[in-house]
Amino acid sequence: MYRTVVNRILLTKNTGGGRRCLLRFPDLRTAVSSSRFSTTTEPQTFPNRPLNPADSSTSSSSTSFQTSSAAGDIPRQERKNPRAEYQGEQARVLQASLRHVLRLGWSEEAMIAGAKEVGISPSIVGSFPRKEAALVEFFMDDCLQRLIDRIDSGEELQDLIPSQCIYKLVRFRLEMQAPYISKWPQALSIQAHPLNVSTSFKQRAMLVDEIWHAAGDEASDLDWYVKRTVLGGIYSTTEIYMLTDSSPEFRDTWLFLDNRVKDAFDLKKTIQEVFSPSIPFPLFF
Amino acid sequence: MYLNSYNLPCVTISMNFTSVMFSGFKEVREEEKSQMVGKVFSNVASNYDLMNDFMSGGLHRLWKDRLVSKLSPFPGMKHLDVAGGTGDVAFRILESVNSIKRRALQDPLNDDLQEETRIYVCDINPNMLDVGKNRALEKGLGEDKSLVWVQGDAEALSFEDNSMDGYTIAFGIRNVTHIEKVLSEAYRVLKRGGRFLCLELSHVDIPVFKELYDFYSFSVIPRLGEIVAGDRESYQYLVESIRRFPPQEKFASMIADAGFQKVEYENLVGGVVAIHSGLKI
Repeated sequence: MYRTVVNRILLTKNTGGGRRCLLRFPDLRTAVSSSRFSTTTEPQTFPNRPLNPADSSTSSSSTSFQTSSAAGDIPRQERKNPRAEYQGEQARVLQASLRHVLRLGWSEEAMIAGAKEVGISPSIVGSFPRKEAALVEFFMDDCLQRLIDRIDSGEELQDLIPSQCIYKLVRFRLEMQAPYISKWPQALSIQAHPLNVSTSFKQRAMLVDEIWHAAGDEASDLDWYVKRTVLGGIYSTTEIYMLTDSSPEFRDTWLFLDNRVKDAFDLKKTIQEVFSPSIPFPLFF
Repeated sequence: MYLNSYNLPCVTISMNFTSVMFSGFKEVREEEKSQMVGKVFSNVASNYDLMNDFMSGGLHRLWKDRLVSKLSPFPGMKHLDVAGGTGDVAFRILESVNSIKRRALQDPLNDDLQEETRIYVCDINPNMLDVGKNRALEKGLGEDKSLVWVQGDAEALSFEDNSMDGYTIAFGIRNVTHIEKVLSEAYRVLKRGGRFLCLELSHVDIPVFKELYDFYSFSVIPRLGEIVAGDRESYQYLVESIRRFPPQEKFASMIADAGFQKVEYENLVGGVVAIHSGLKI
């Protein structure tokens, strides 16, 4: 249920002229069915229907656009495909730029190198509103998508108790950052920049949401916020710990993560015991 | 500071010029428009930069800085600046590229690219180009082979298809006869991924500010032109041509019609100036 809520929030944000979300998230879960749907809706939703930047699915979703819009208005289709095209190209450039990040950092130079690799003029880098931030945000979205794929494909997660499930997922997500760990502090500082804070906060909120959902969360009202805040804290502290961890394969980080998750669940149990009906509430004061 | 280096009102107005009662609002035949524009800019060339400073209160420098920062130049870039006679935008781009080079010493592949940067300054009016070349000499860029001065028509460029990384036109597009042709030429010469940027005086919609701006345009500017450059008619033409130019949205749709994607515009000073940008994919 919450996933559709998140989608709706993203889509309403996009109609206001939002930027980063255009690249990835809303389309993916609903895949082909939504792309067919979108060709018959009114034009102003068009910019909100992004293509999946991975090459294979770009071709598949664009062919689905073509076939399903054949019966629809021709002008609408023509308007639609070119508009989606530049976002696809931008995504390709960003994807290629990631390969240069280790050498050149999360910077314009990496993006210029990526554009050259793909065969597009590096001028396209100027069309990203916040340049380096676009690259970092693309990477964050990409990781989130891989996490979602892992959740959707992994049946065994449902058998685990929540704390173990959370541990596994956070570890899986942080391992995606391991190849870039030498340049990750730069990425964090880019995300902390006032212009970029709101987007990076949203991305992290979505990430935390996904993990809790996979762990089988049925919370509502205040509990929902508390859980996400706590997990956000666990995730961030582990991420920062990882920056200075030099143990083989980040063993110390995973130990740290395990301890933090246990602490959180112990704390939750403690609070539940304190407020349980066995102790009369007024007596507590 | 400026008054020392420029001659004050010695620009003579030729008889042909004053006898033609042309105004930006009057219906002018197409073949006459380019001739008139030619005369206007031949007259104003020597005082062009000075008058820009006076009319905009020095703001035009900031506007051009903003244009170049939006462009994000990079070493090895092939750039075309159209109607850029006196070279303002070209010099800024060159400075930006040279400074990037010093910063990005980390990438060894870029060292050779620095020599490949080419900025073509194209203008239909040779007087404006001469002013630009002189300014380049003054800045010590006379020997720099990155700057190439070309005389040409924006509606029929002499450059090859898919040869430019960037295309800018600053305060030039309202003077052309066929805007669509200029836009399609721009689309033709740009590479895939290339960007089109246009800095132009545009329309103001903010209620009180609009009236102030109109007063400034129609009363103050031609008077300034008369005093500083001795040429009231040219600046009257200037002000009226601004009003005739399509508003921001309309111009954006014209750019999109030429084939550009991601067409956006940014208003500066409430719409007095707008920077339109488009991407070729």
